[in-house]
Amino acid sequence: MCEITKESVFDAVSTVIDPEVGFNLVEMGLIYDAIIEESCNVQVVMTLSTRGCPLHQMITQWVREAVEKLDGVGVVEVEVVWEPEWNITMAEDNVKKALAG
Amino acid sequence: MFSVSKESAPPFGMISPFFWIGSIFYLLGSIFLLFLTPENGHYDLAIVGWMHWFLLGFMMMIIFGAMAQLVPVVVEVGHFSVDLYYIIWPNLLIGTLTMSYGFWFDQMVLPYGGLLVLVSMIIFLYDTLMTLRKASNITLTVKTVIASNLFLLVGIVIGFVMSLAVSSGADVDIANWLGAHVVMVLGGYVTLTIMGLSMILLPMFGLSHGFDDKPVERAFRLMVGGVIFYFISTLFGWHMGKFLSLIVMFVSVTLYMYQITIIYKTRARKEIDVWVKSMFMGYSSLLFASILGLIYIFTSYENVLMSAVWFLVMGFFSFLINGHLYKIIPFLVWFERYSPLVGKEKVPMLNEMLPHRLARFEFIFSSVGVLLAGIGLLIGSADLFKGGVTFVIAGAGFMFVSVKWMLSYGK
Repeated sequence: MCEITKESVFDAVSTVIDPEVGFNLVEMGLIYDAIIEESCNVQVVMTLSTRGCPLHQMITQWVREAVEKLDGVGVVEVEVVWEPEWNITMAEDNVKKALAG
Repeated sequence: MFSVSKESAPPFGMISPFFWIGSIFYLLGSIFLLFLTPENGHYDLAIVGWMHWFLLGFMMMIIFGAMAQLVPVVVEVGHFSVDLYYIIWPNLLIGTLTMSYGFWFDQMVLPYGGLLVLVSMIIFLYDTLMTLRKASNITLTVKTVIASNLFLLVGIVIGFVMSLAVSSGADVDIANWLGAHVVMVLGGYVTLTIMGLSMILLPMFGLSHGFDDKPVERAFRLMVGGVIFYFISTLFGWHMGKFLSLIVMFVSVTLYMYQITIIYKTRARKEIDVWVKSMFMGYSSLLFASILGLIYIFTSYENVLMSAVWFLVMGFFSFLINGHLYKIIPFLVWFERYSPLVGKEKVPMLNEMLPHRLARFEFIFSSVGVLLAGIGLLIGSADLFKGGVTFVIAGAGFMFVSVKWMLSYGK
């Protein structure tokens, strides 16, 4: 029985910080879902704030490495999707407030 | 889906010379302004020499360095051969120095400098066009990059032929072709490149989403059409055609500025940092330059032309380039020195890698200087122009120290 939960995956990903804005990916609203199979393989579905992000590959790598630190985790996959397109309403209130100056 | 891997991104050591050299040319070019006599008009070789020093040594150098990083981001594939950038900057550097010397002291050396510049640009074009061939997602920005690079090729070939005419007396109507050279390089390459890249960079840094991009699509088509029609009009000596082309380009720039306003209004990030201030100053200068340019088309007043070019070059181009250096350099340094440490130890945020105080001084001095000197050119006051230039020099000094500070961060 896999003990990894969606919450634990989100907690792990929340250690990954976007160096440009200084917030973690979860509070930015960039992590859409975490699909956990019975075998503990994890698929993180996420987006980026822009398609032209030069850190695209590195950010997905950081997410994978963060989730791989969970005890008992199997294969970790990160899927980047562009639908729905990210916008600021998806971010948490503290992010919106800080970005609004 | 695409990604820019560390392997396809250019090494920091390859790009940093472009920024070092560009900022030195900017500082020295600002100082050289003190020795110019603007009332001599735009055919004065001292002014032409300065324009080449500034446009090639500062603008092109930094644009090429930035493109080494941005082309993979824009076209979503790795460089065809990123190592070519190792030979672009030495050719461009020596070519620019030789050309400037040629304009200022000895016109016989002009073609040699022109040839080196031509070689550096052909190498740049070769890598860029071969990289673009690999692109599968042909976005508006990709089309812009293709069109602008082809215009650059035509523009520099015209420039090289003119350098032969100046040095050896080859039979070329310089008065006729100078316009085409300027339109091809400044309108066809620099403006189109800025249009295309700004559609990536401004939404990315401002976190703008869901905006209508039809204005910039139309601006792009009009600018391409205007530049091509200007070239054809030059070939056949159609003065009315040139006039109409310039009007079309003016409409294009107006639509582009409307697009920028839309992006600005839809941004999620409201912080007014040095990048936002620089964009504001740059686009205000473009607006002012466009109005002055329009006035010149109908009046042919030399002072109006000189002032329009000043606000275009020292206002729009310089503030856009310098403003983006505050974003691009910290990112490159972070990518090189800190990205391998993520998850292993605490790494700085990009905002911490900015010299905020130096940048604030750079912005204030440069803004005041550009405004004063531009007004000086407009009203024909050499004293006001020189006074403004001293502020520009101070701003360039702060810019140089800022670039040095950013490039050395964490060394």
